[in-house]
Amino acid sequence: MKSAHIQHLYNRIGFGITPNQLAILLSKSKNVVVDELFLESKIITPLKADLTFLDNYSAQDLKDKNKRQELQKISRAKVIDYNFMWFNRLSNPKEILREKMTLFWANHFVCENKNILFVQKYNNTLRENALGNFGDFAKKIAKEPAMLNYLNNKQNRKKSPNENFARELMELFTLGQGKYTEKDIVASARAFTGYFHDFNGDFKLRKNQHDNADKTFLGKTGNFNGDAIIDIILEQKQCARFISEKIYTYFVNDTINENHINEMVALFYGSYNIEKLMRFVFNSDWFYADENMGSKIKSPVEFLIGMHTIVPYKIEQPRKAILLQKLLGQVLLQPPNVAGWQTGRNWIDSNTIVTRLRLPSVLLNNAEITYSDKGDEEAMLTNFSEKKLRRKTFVKAKIDWETFDKNFKESSFQDLVIQILGTKINDGTKAQILKKQTVSKRDFCIQIMSLPEYQLC
Amino acid sequence: MNRRNFLKQSTFASGIFFVPQFLKAFENLPIKTFSNKKVVIIQLKGGNDGLNTVVPFNNDIYYQNRNNISINKNELLRISDEIGLHKSLQPLKNLYDKGFVSILNNVGYPNPNLSHFRSTDIWQTASDSNEYLQNGWIGRYLDYTKAASFKAIEVDESLSLMLKGKTQNGLAVTDAKYLYNSIKQPYFNTVINHYNDAHLNEHNLGYLYNTMIDAKSSSKYIYEKTKTQISKQEYPKNLFGKQLKTIGEFINSGLETQVYYAGLSGFDTHANQPNTQERLLQLYAESMEVFVEDLQKNNQFDDVIILTFSEFGRRVKQNESNGTDHGTSNNVFVIGKNLKQNGLYNSMPDLSNLDANGNLKHEIDFREIYATILDKWLQVDDTAILNKSFSKLKFV
Repeated sequence: MKSAHIQHLYNRIGFGITPNQLAILLSKSKNVVVDELFLESKIITPLKADLTFLDNYSAQDLKDKNKRQELQKISRAKVIDYNFMWFNRLSNPKEILREKMTLFWANHFVCENKNILFVQKYNNTLRENALGNFGDFAKKIAKEPAMLNYLNNKQNRKKSPNENFARELMELFTLGQGKYTEKDIVASARAFTGYFHDFNGDFKLRKNQHDNADKTFLGKTGNFNGDAIIDIILEQKQCARFISEKIYTYFVNDTINENHINEMVALFYGSYNIEKLMRFVFNSDWFYADENMGSKIKSPVEFLIGMHTIVPYKIEQPRKAILLQKLLGQVLLQPPNVAGWQTGRNWIDSNTIVTRLRLPSVLLNNAEITYSDKGDEEAMLTNFSEKKLRRKTFVKAKIDWETFDKNFKESSFQDLVIQILGTKINDGTKAQILKKQTVSKRDFCIQIMSLPEYQLC
Repeated sequence: MNRRNFLKQSTFASGIFFVPQFLKAFENLPIKTFSNKKVVIIQLKGGNDGLNTVVPFNNDIYYQNRNNISINKNELLRISDEIGLHKSLQPLKNLYDKGFVSILNNVGYPNPNLSHFRSTDIWQTASDSNEYLQNGWIGRYLDYTKAASFKAIEVDESLSLMLKGKTQNGLAVTDAKYLYNSIKQPYFNTVINHYNDAHLNEHNLGYLYNTMIDAKSSSKYIYEKTKTQISKQEYPKNLFGKQLKTIGEFINSGLETQVYYAGLSGFDTHANQPNTQERLLQLYAESMEVFVEDLQKNNQFDDVIILTFSEFGRRVKQNESNGTDHGTSNNVFVIGKNLKQNGLYNSMPDLSNLDANGNLKHEIDFREIYATILDKWLQVDDTAILNKSFSKLKFV
């Protein structure tokens, strides 16, 4: 397999690749490389926080205000730790494709919760189903306690249906805007009435709250429950198209190519086998077409983890890892709303570009970073009027330059440009940065990571 | 908007955005605009209790619903025989008495959402309550006028959805000098200067370079234009006071920014509301009075209106913790010198006619306020920006 193609594949299915990893793959064919990726990701390693504190609480405690607040407080802190655990998992993944797909699905089945038990359960459901069957996946998501809370299905009762989940299920999770009517939403909401969960997060159907009368949904009539609704949605070819387009924009190119999508839909519709679809994409010739390489803007997480691939670092405090995510506009487990993060060019504005360009030197040289602690939930609800507008901090991180030195020992500056940036560097910029080679290799690495080109993958 | 001016502005502006040579020229040459009107938008974050802010002191239902947290008649600052302002609002009342304030009651939207974040999104994007828009109404204003990013400034580190457009974004700045210093490092200068601009129009790489250059030129413009302007007014010494001081300095230095956005947090008063609200409203009112004085001394107040909103009001009936829960429609303050209608714009909420959750029903759609500001104040096509036509109000 060609070096540039391997680099491209690993940018998209992971967070880049080191020269020695790449060297091993050079002699293998594309099919073999792709096969190995899937083989590696057969294993599922759930991400587990220490939840022993829950042993001290029961459902009964939720009725007591003090106990409840105590529980919420511990839980919130655990969710912050969980963000950091996830961040570190992404930095050192064993099942790289599965982890990247988990990240993808987290911005598809978008959800947020403050209960660590539900957050963890949800995150692992994404991980377990990331390469599975899309229909089963959607049905499991509908029964997740985090989702039952987030989109109010928990409040969806026979006598007063709540349409929030029913609407987003079609608009954002399966079909896309305008592919159904308001009547379909009403019918679907009725099918999901009575969905509930217990203290442990296990799904419960409250039978007396469930509407057992006939519903007419997307042209079919029957006493449908939630699963039946999802089955009817899956019969729509539009569902296969919607998911294919979403995968295409995430893994291939922001701009849709109709022919490629048609090929994907033909393969995906019916089986809804996600693994099969992804194999097809990574084995296709068009995945490696010139216009698809180095054409996407990295998400903040791809940017941060991608730096880690080149120069391994370990941030010491969880809150500092979250601060970086926040400054770049993507805090794991805290999506902006149910539509998720807007990707591509939406990641970049005047502030985030400056933050991105400066971050390699800030992080890798332990430089000071200035920020204001505003705009998050806590700041919105508590009064920050006494606090300073601007604060300064250091993001303390252990930088493993030795590994960088070892991995890039054989690389010339010219090689580094290709290994870190790929091939799509602007000629003028390239000539200029290669002109002055008086800096150390480490500094040169920071320099090229501080380029607009480094924002692409 | 005058068509000729619009064409002139947009051609010039788009030239700036797509031709790199112009970009370099632009570093020393801000866009000339024809409208010098400015809007300052303030969000009282967390959901201010409007009913304890503008209080109907002759209304029995008000007192019945708020046993512990209602405000006595004699504690209020009366603005009519029926209505008084919260006692902390004396500085705002001073402005009110000068005819600088218009209070719009019952502002909201159909099918209100009671989540802070969702409702904030709705207010920021001007969407329907079941519609998810990915750009804000000020961002779309920038799109429409093809304006440079510094035309809309949020005094914060990160940019809110309100200022994000489809093609243009506003600028988040707390300290222009810092932003400018961050990007004016020799290394970035070298990169910008040696960028081979053959494909500046196209592809994501062009977009990245463009944004980088825009960040540099905007921060340079703001920094150089404002560096000598130091406000002599005594603003409250806290985050919100500092934000307004910055906005005051920006406006008074003649910066051509047309929209500013700042926020005051802490209004989510589920428990022990009276003390918290008293403190926050005082901070708000004091800041407003100083800000208006600052603008007046610099002869800028004629061209500025200040819009204050909260993502929602609060439940009419208080809860068991001497607080109030999330509600719906609320009052909005418009502050300006030459308001067409000052004082109470419309009648107080009807406390006997609530929705199924015990919340107020709205009378004015908040987008009518936006439409009015866009059409009558900024003189642009409000329908194009709000994606819909709304009736106009008469406060400006």
